[in-house]
Amino acid sequence: MTVESLSRQRVLHLLDSFARGDLDAALACCTDDVDFLTHAPIDVLPHMVPRHGKTELRALWQTVWSRYSEVRYKTPHVVAEADAVATYMHAYFKKRSNGRIVQFDMAVFYSLRNGLVTEIREIIDSYDLVQQVLEREIGPLILGERAE
Amino acid sequence: MTEHSLWRFSRALHRAINDRHFEDIEALIDEDVDWALYGPIDMFPFLGARQGKQAVLDVIRQLADNFHVRRFDRENIMLGVDSAASMLRYSLTALDSDKPLSLRVAQFAQFRAGRLVNMRVLIDTFDLVEQALGRAIHLPKMTGVG
Repeated sequence: MTVESLSRQRVLHLLDSFARGDLDAALACCTDDVDFLTHAPIDVLPHMVPRHGKTELRALWQTVWSRYSEVRYKTPHVVAEADAVATYMHAYFKKRSNGRIVQFDMAVFYSLRNGLVTEIREIIDSYDLVQQVLEREIGPLILGERAE
Repeated sequence: MTEHSLWRFSRALHRAINDRHFEDIEALIDEDVDWALYGPIDMFPFLGARQGKQAVLDVIRQLADNFHVRRFDRENIMLGVDSAASMLRYSLTALDSDKPLSLRVAQFAQFRAGRLVNMRVLIDTFDLVEQALGRAIHLPKMTGVG
């Protein structure tokens, strides 16, 4: 098995573990000093601040699971090269509050060290994500601010 | 060693946007290309999904009409046999306002016989909209729901 296929397999295992809600198994795929960064409006989504280390990453994932009862991913594109993997994913999160599905695409870039994930970098269509989480369109709010 | 299709495509794309030289990029796009740049299409009409070479060339022309690429840095790059994924930091100038824009972009490309057949691009669009507006969007913190 090549390094690429091992790296790919490990990242997919992490995603499967997280989607099952098995945070211990997901964290076991990561180094102790795992570094997480997503590009999203943290003034609106304050839990999406950068996280460093397993304890902080567990806290983030627990927050996500406290708000969503079901997490599913489809990964139509996975590119692996040596100790790095990039996934393009369709994500579906079901809200606990009202059962609505938040559906968004995300790009996640993983770096691995000794077979464990040591860096996670995400890019999300954050404007759309905020609208779905908020359950309202942002455009009229922007226009409202202009009018004021 | 043959050059990866991504490098040829990237050079041609930037030449098209900055120099309005479209011949090179046209030769590198498959007739049946499947293309999507995700984001708010009501604010940025060149975003969204497109099918086919002509539709994609129209998008690239619109990008050339609206932006100049000042600089780009690849923060992550992964090359497969006929695929590539990269995370880039773009410094652009919006041509209508001469306003600088800084974007972080994820790009997933697939090639067949050296031509682009599939492209998916994700952008931190909330940040893009705030930069385009020139101010922050004030929304309530979603500490309990997001």
